[in-house]
Amino acid sequence: MQWLTVFNKELLESWRNFKWIWVPLVFILLAITDPLTTYYLPQILEATGGLPEGATFEMPEPPPTEVFMMSVSQLNLIGVLIIALISMGTISGERKSGVAELILVKPIAYHSYVTAKWAAYTLLIWVSTFIALLASWYYVNLLFGEVSAGSFLRTVFFYGLWMTFILTISIFMNTFSKTAGLVLFFTIALVIALNLLSSVFAHVVEWSPALISSHLRNALISGELPSALWGSAGTAVLFSIILLAAAAYTLKHKEIS
Amino acid sequence: MITVQNLSKVYQNNRAVDDISFTLSSGKCIALLGPNGAGKTTALRMMAGLISPTSGTVELLGEHSGDIRSHIGYLPQHPHFHSWMTGREFLIYAGKLAYLSKKEAASRADQLLTRVGIFEVRNRRISKYSGGMEQRLGIAQALIHKPELLMLDEPVSALDPIGRRDVLNLMEELKKETTILYSTHILNDAEESSDEILLMHEGKIVESGSLSSLKDRHQVDKITLQFEDSPESYRQKLDHLNVVTRTEIKKETVDVYVTDQALARETILNLALKEHWPLLQFEMGRITLEDLFMKVVQSYAVADRIQ
Repeated sequence: MQWLTVFNKELLESWRNFKWIWVPLVFILLAITDPLTTYYLPQILEATGGLPEGATFEMPEPPPTEVFMMSVSQLNLIGVLIIALISMGTISGERKSGVAELILVKPIAYHSYVTAKWAAYTLLIWVSTFIALLASWYYVNLLFGEVSAGSFLRTVFFYGLWMTFILTISIFMNTFSKTAGLVLFFTIALVIALNLLSSVFAHVVEWSPALISSHLRNALISGELPSALWGSAGTAVLFSIILLAAAAYTLKHKEIS
Repeated sequence: MITVQNLSKVYQNNRAVDDISFTLSSGKCIALLGPNGAGKTTALRMMAGLISPTSGTVELLGEHSGDIRSHIGYLPQHPHFHSWMTGREFLIYAGKLAYLSKKEAASRADQLLTRVGIFEVRNRRISKYSGGMEQRLGIAQALIHKPELLMLDEPVSALDPIGRRDVLNLMEELKKETTILYSTHILNDAEESSDEILLMHEGKIVESGSLSSLKDRHQVDKITLQFEDSPESYRQKLDHLNVVTRTEIKKETVDVYVTDQALARETILNLALKEHWPLLQFEMGRITLEDLFMKVVQSYAVADRIQ
């Protein structure tokens, strides 16, 4: 009941400050840029006159799954930044401005406050990711060839988990600092560190959440689901739960403002 | 109804609140007085559960169970709201957070909006509110769940004279329904609208009790007289009375310090009647809250210096 109150308020807030419009739009743009530019690259080069007279230009056409994965990589780069940006002030901002003083003297459980906010952003991210990858999938099928619906759904599912994991890191950081900029910095720093460590020690930490997208690539190409993908997804879920619990705990035991 | 025991808050060796204990009885309006930096806000915030005390407890007495926050309404000194919401939306949101149903929250919100006088602007975004409107909305949100204890941190200091008047009148009305604890450094307000006071200085409670008992305790035994002509000639006669310790002339009036006010009143009035003194004014000395405040705070300041 209280949980739903905060959840609905968050959705309304995201709607009123247009997050529900611009986040999906930016995600779609990110996702369809690569399939379109790859397909139209010859024409673009021709139009801009980048080739000398008489030269012919043969581009090997990449396989559809490869192009679809390009979209995912794009989201991975800038999508992460966007997630951190939209969520960096959700709790820290309320604490800094003093709204939290009014909200948290009401008899609301801290874990409801944290998880309701988390859920509202998770919904936004999943919807945005789904629409963006749907657009990308449509263009890939149209311009390059078939990627199966199963592969598409699988990508949305596993990739959504990775996005959710990033969001959870950001929510957790929110309870640590009142400064939104610091929340952003720590979130991005942690994600970059995770990415780096995971790719350097890829064989040791096979189940690292940061490896979800690289496992996904293998899964798309081979058409099978490697167990490491499930492992990575499992750790992402597990760490998300731990981080959420830790966020509620920190908020409760910290001075609210 | 609420008991505070040995409550302390220490910030890096600075004892913001230093071992305070008191009990508030229901149906009273209590003023928490003190100069700036005395620890009033810190004490209120600990009672509201916003910060955790270094030591000590805050307990609700009676049949109150569960979350202490359900029984408390709190208005911070500078309230901030979700400025993208309308006033009415915010109240409903606050009400639902305090376990009211959607319907209850809405009807309670409308009721309170009328009561604090911002019903006309209920559907305006809070970002467009004036400071006075925000303060009223702040009081409304603190009342949304009919708390048994209403805590207001400096509710009138930021308001213009009209807004101040309105809020004080509102508090006068609210007294009938709920216990009010509010902090202020404006002594007139405290004198006007509170039954009891708690006087804080440097984190400690240095005086407490009902206003009249405090005044009795710190009574200055003084009678002020004013005559139609110069007070000089009467002064000598007054000096000769047994109950009078000393006299002091201040422009038109003469302050007579006495040992026993009741006896002195009788003696002086008898004398005045017998000798046909042209009295203009006869006033028994009454200490004002301001005198008391200065007296207590200064005596502590002096004690600190001696140490």
